This record gives sequence, structure tokens and C-alpha cells, in this order.
Amino acid sequence: MQRTLRDLLIALVVVFGVGSAAMLIAHASPIAGFGALLDGALGNASEFAETLLQTTALLFPALGIALAFRAGLFNIGAEGQIVLGGMTAGILGVALPLPGLVLIPLVLAGAACAGGLWGGLAGFLKARFGANEVISTLMLNTVALLLATYLIGGPFKQPGAGASETPQLPAAAWLPVLIPNTRLSVSFLLALLLAGALWYVFGRTVFGYELRAAGEAPEAARRAGIDLGRTALTAMTLSGAIAGLGGATIVMGVLHRFNTGLSPGYGFIAIAVALVGNLDPLFIILAAFGFGILQSGSIAMQAEANVPRDVVTLIEGLVIIALAGRRFVAQRRTS
Amino acid sequence: MNAAGALFALLTLTLVKATPLIYAALGGVLSERSGVVNIGLEGILTAGAFFAVVGSAATGSPLAGVAAGIVAGALLAVILAFAATRLGVDQIVAGTGLNIVALGGAAYGLLLIFGQPGASREVPSLGTTGERVLTLLAFVLTALLWFALFRTPWGLRVRSCGENPRAAEIAGIDALQTRFWAVVIGGAIASLGGVYLSLAELDLYSDGMTAGRGYIALAAVIFGRWNPWGALGAAVFFGFFAALQYTLQRAGIPSELMQALPYVAALVALAGFAGRVRAPAADGVPFER
Repeated sequence: MQRTLRDLLIALVVVFGVGSAAMLIAHASPIAGFGALLDGALGNASEFAETLLQTTALLFPALGIALAFRAGLFNIGAEGQIVLGGMTAGILGVALPLPGLVLIPLVLAGAACAGGLWGGLAGFLKARFGANEVISTLMLNTVALLLATYLIGGPFKQPGAGASETPQLPAAAWLPVLIPNTRLSVSFLLALLLAGALWYVFGRTVFGYELRAAGEAPEAARRAGIDLGRTALTAMTLSGAIAGLGGATIVMGVLHRFNTGLSPGYGFIAIAVALVGNLDPLFIILAAFGFGILQSGSIAMQAEANVPRDVVTLIEGLVIIALAGRRFVAQRRTS
Repeated sequence: MNAAGALFALLTLTLVKATPLIYAALGGVLSERSGVVNIGLEGILTAGAFFAVVGSAATGSPLAGVAAGIVAGALLAVILAFAATRLGVDQIVAGTGLNIVALGGAAYGLLLIFGQPGASREVPSLGTTGERVLTLLAFVLTALLWFALFRTPWGLRVRSCGENPRAAEIAGIDALQTRFWAVVIGGAIASLGGVYLSLAELDLYSDGMTAGRGYIALAAVIFGRWNPWGALGAAVFFGFFAALQYTLQRAGIPSELMQALPYVAALVALAGFAGRVRAPAADGVPFER
């Protein structure tokens, strides 16, 4: 708890300190800049809905990353897992002529499988060959994007598809809207439910305990009979599946089609979210909301205060560095 | 084009594609030999590429651009070096943060300095001569780094900090300071890879132009067994696959699959090599007194 508060304080200092400096460099007053940012994120109902939408998009990969972190594994591959989950949703949603009640769960499951496969691949390379998951997931990100671009433009090209995107999904595959006249869908509730479920799994189940043991004391865990290779494979698969699910909700709830540019780096920003949330699913919800404000308010900040919105990315990177103080990755790089 | 001509073109392109990888991998070797994993190589390439263009645009001299790129890469490495040696952070997480900082910072700077998103305007570049000199310099630096690491007292100090910093300290070496400077010098070397991309291969900076080369360089460090010559060999190997995509593309194989080639090659190399090579014993392990 104390740790969480301290980390939160550090994050806030970085956000406001560096943010103010970046605004001053851009000849904008920090008060006007942050004012525009907050107003743009929370000013009215539709802006608030947009912030929750960004929150949702960050929450899924952040939960996945936290799960892997708990097992001592650093999944930097969420971005690629989001892309493949989204792509699978885009292809299945158009291809399957089914009613919504059957179609939606099926497409979500398909997307989770695709993301899980991609995360699991890194887990397999780690468990079987000892390949460092950090480097392999970084490679797999690029391969995922290229693979998706190839698949939707080639073998899975459907009539009516534009460049680097699938045709629009039939309405049956759309996630129901949560707040009328906004883009916010029930995916927000889905993400909250998932966070609750993971909170239970991490704290109250044997599997959650095994994850933590493997992450914090791998040698002791191994002696206690926990199969570290299998844990790595399971953790990376689940981590990827959760991120893939997040990609699917962007496709089914927001864009209503798959586009290779569906994620502006959610998979990377989610690392900051998971760290600020101290790997605790309930705190991660709050952290995702905080970063959701940054994401959605930055557009207004650029429009009204003339501060390039990319400064938000810079700040998010610094938050990660500032909060890297704990040993997250317990297992050795190679071996 | 006859077969000999095609082969020559392929080999030339291999060198072009390998050069930025060599610089990044050399920076990684130096850093990891001292015990600090630098996942931030991608960000350092970005910083080098961006500030080289800024320097060249501001002064009209591409050589000033080279200097600006090196300074920017070294300064970015200072953040990691400081966090790794003075704050004892998880180096891999911090390095990832570094990449994101560089990505956001370059996009922010593009709007601020060039007033446009996506790419800068064209600036005075190093041209073909500069391109060749930088490629040659990559080989020279490899030899120098090898000599410095394995034939000088400084190299022995660096390597001892990567193997056992506590023993090094007992022998009178300041492990924290040694690591700090290894990371910073490594950053300066790696940034030349970014400079090459923006000022030699091209004459502008565009978002995402580093395209994961910093990550491939990490694989090259492992593949090259933490040895400068080995890293150079691995970089040329991956550069060959990057060059091959252009040759095979003309043969009608989908371009996306070809672009994935160097990454897949790096993945296979990573899986095949892990476990059979030994990293410096204290690589990635924070040291605190």
C-alpha cells in the first residue's frame, strides 16, 4: 500500500514536472496546457466516454503484462498480440454469418486464441530453448504487424476491404454501446470484470501463488515442485490472450473493422499502466484511468494550447523509467 | 543484370543494411560487458537519427549533424546509466522506458522544430562518400572496441564489472562509475547507427525509421557472444537477410513476408543460441554497494 502510494506520487511528479517543462518549451503555459488536457478528457459526457474508451484499451494489455510480470516475465509483446487479436476479430466477424449472441463470444474467443498463440510462442521459446522473452516478444511485435498486413491483403482479403484494413463488421458482431451517442461499448465492463477476476486469481488461487513464487523466488519454486517452464508458457499464453482480447474489443467496439493501425502503442503504454498500478489489478484500473485521461486529453491539449500531443508518450516513457526501481524480472536473461 | 552484378548489388546492400546494426550491436556489447543490459538501443538509434537531422538543419553542416546525433545518443544513455548505477533499477524495464521516451520525444520535436508530423524536411546529408566512410568506420570501431575490451586495462575493468562487480570493487575498481561510462560510451557508439540511417542512407528523419533495428542488434549481441567481432558478424548476417528481401521481392514473394525475414532470422538465432552461450555473469544484475 505504502509502495503503491509512493509510486503514484513519483508518477504524478513526473507527469506534472516534465509535462510543464515540455509545455514551456512549446511556448504554452502549463496551466493552460493541463487545463486544456483535463477539460478535453473530462469536460463533458462524450469526452468522459472517450476517456473511458482509452482506459479500456489500456486496461486489457496492462492486465496481461501484470500477469506475466508476476511470473517474472516481461511481455513487451502486447502490441503485436493486440494486432493479431484485432485481426482475428476483423476476419472472423466478417466471415461468420451468425447471430450476435453466438457470434460475439466466438469472435472474442478466437481473438484471445490468436493473442495467446503469439504470447505463448515467446513462452515456448523461453521454456524450450531458454530464449529471452524480452527480445523475442520485441521481434514478434514487428512480425505480427507484417503478418497481419500480409494476411488481410492476401489470403484473407475480403470484398470491400480497403488498404491495410478489413471490410466493416456486420452489426451482429458489434459490441453493444454502453453510453448512447458515444463510442464507449460494454468492453469497458468486460475489462473491469477481467480485472476483478485476475484480482481473485492472483490473491486467492493456487495458480496465482505459483505465478508469484516463480516470479519472486524461482529457485525455491522449482524446489517446491513448480514447473518453471510450464509456468512461463502458461503465463505468456494468458498474457497474450488478454492483450489479444483487448485488440478484439477495439475492433468490435470502436472501429467496427480491423485496421493495422488500430493501436497507437497501447501495448507499450500499458507497461507504464501496469507499473503504476503496482501489478495489482484493482490499482491498475485506476492507473489505466489516469493514463486514459492523458491519452484522450492530449488531443485537446494540442489543439488548444499548441503543445504537440506526443509529449504524452515521452512522459509515459519517463514514468516507466522512474518506476523501474523494483526487480521485476527475476529470471536471468539467458541460460 | 547478370548474376555477378546481382550478387555484387546484394552484397553492397548487405553492408548498407548491416552498418546501423553494427553500431547498435557494438554499443550493446560494451554496455553488457560492463553488466548493464541496454534494451534502449532502439531509442538511442532514434535519438541519433533525429538529432543528426536537427543538427544538420540548424547549421547546414552534416558533420555538425553527426556530432549532434552522437551527443543526443550519449545523453539518452546517461538516463539509463544513471538509473542503472545510482538507482539500481530493473535495467530491462528502464530500457523499455527509454525507447518510449525517444519515440515520443522525436515526434514532439518534429512538430516543434520542423512544424510537421511524420517526417522532417530534407537536410544537407553526408552523401555517398559519407555513407561509405561510416560503413568503414563501423569496421574500424569494431577492431578498436575489441582491442579496448580485451587488450587494455580499461577493458579488463569493464569486463570484471560485468562478471563480478563486487570482486571488482574489492580490487579497487569503481564498479558503478565503470558501468556508467560503459553505458554512455556505448550509447554514443550506437547513436552512429541512427546517424547513418537519417544522414547517410537518407537525408531526413521520419517517424519509425529505426524500425526495430535496435532490437535486432540485441539479438546480434547474443548471437555474437558479447564479442565485437562476433556482433559484427551477426549484424552482417541479419543485414544480409534485410538485403535479401529486396532481391526476393523482385521474384514475386509478398513484400511483408520478406520484410519479416531479418526478424524471423533473429528469433531463430535467439532460440538456437540461447543456452549454448554464456552471458557476462552479472549482465543485467544491478550492483549496489
